[in-house]
Amino acid sequence: MNTLQGQISNIQVNGSLALVSTRINPIDFTAIVIETPETADYLKIGNTIHVLFKETEVVIATETSKNISLQNQIPGTVTQLKKGTLLSRLTIDTMVGDIVSVITTNAIDQLNITEGTKVTAMIKTNEILLQQ
Amino acid sequence: MIDLSLHKGLHTAQGTMPLDIDITITKGQFVTLYGESGAGKTSILRMLAGLLSPDQGKIVVNESIWYDSTTKTNLKPQQRKVGFMFQDYALFPHMTVRKNLEYALSKNQDSGSIEELIQMVELGDLQHQKPSTLSGGQQQRVALARALVQQPEILLLDEPLSALDTKMRLKLQDYILKVHQQYNLTTILVSHNIGEIIKLSHQVHILEKGNIVKSGTPTEVLTSHKMSAKFRFTGEVIAIQQEEVVSIVTVLIGNNVVKIIAQESEIETLNIGDTVLVASKAFNPVIQKIV
Repeated sequence: MNTLQGQISNIQVNGSLALVSTRINPIDFTAIVIETPETADYLKIGNTIHVLFKETEVVIATETSKNISLQNQIPGTVTQLKKGTLLSRLTIDTMVGDIVSVITTNAIDQLNITEGTKVTAMIKTNEILLQQ
Repeated sequence: MIDLSLHKGLHTAQGTMPLDIDITITKGQFVTLYGESGAGKTSILRMLAGLLSPDQGKIVVNESIWYDSTTKTNLKPQQRKVGFMFQDYALFPHMTVRKNLEYALSKNQDSGSIEELIQMVELGDLQHQKPSTLSGGQQQRVALARALVQQPEILLLDEPLSALDTKMRLKLQDYILKVHQQYNLTTILVSHNIGEIIKLSHQVHILEKGNIVKSGTPTEVLTSHKMSAKFRFTGEVIAIQQEEVVSIVTVLIGNNVVKIIAQESEIETLNIGDTVLVASKAFNPVIQKIV
């Protein structure tokens, strides 16, 4: 599990859903949750919170594109690559710390990723868990 | 219902520490006291058992007053319906298992219950052996049976399983749960083992320096994870298998076996038998109507 710590910077509520932005300098992570400030007391602007996401949910791109729906995009450099037959694990050094991604080895080969490659790690808003 | 109001200056290495406890325990509940050594957990059990007197306070068990400092009521330990089990089995070495249990009978008590207890904790084949020939887990089963000989209403367990290995501990936990339910006991456990607490107890009280600082269900209090995951279960790890760059952790949740992909760093501290929280966002699972 990738775990980052930041402060809640914005909360947009509609019904029982909330779109929560967490500032982890200099990036804002957005997460959609079935909680509101009324149901979860940790949802408060300024509150310190952990942003969690699984390694297997981190999408990797070698070129950034604006034509993509993924809201959380973190640029970085691959510092470690461990290749398996089907799956590979890469560690990416980013402005918010190390992010680990597990993607298929086919994808690694297709994108020509090696240690030192500049990539963008991307996570869907519904894949991000918030934890106090 | 057990009402505990206990106030006492406890002597510790750092001087006197005031213990101030006010709790109510519902009959039939399994309650755990959790906290650092010296927080006052064992003292609470001892005061309930009548082995230690509070300076002030009241102990009312199912409407009968066991202790009241204002009226100077103080029932003797043998008048309180309490069974006690410690980490140290404290069995008589020269007596057989059966004799150890019979010795715990009160005067004029029918010995018929001994046979039932022996069956309950499955000591039938070992009943004529001396404690020294038994394993730690078997001795602790004898100690558990002995704590129940006098048909207590309250079972007090002071870190009873901390000296046992994981496999043995899991087995003893099952016996404890079984007797708790079978005899309709109110059980108070002192334990440091999170998995054990989650498995056994309804309610946990966290003690710090003589005060209760947090109370609630084990998952509320111990996992402390105010987490946005809506798909959340506790289960027991039954297998961990390394596959390429990831590991597959098999977890038993109720009667269902599920598998979770985990990273090396996550399984470092994970052992078979551990209680774990399995969580996912509500957005991930798919739902399909059966039939």
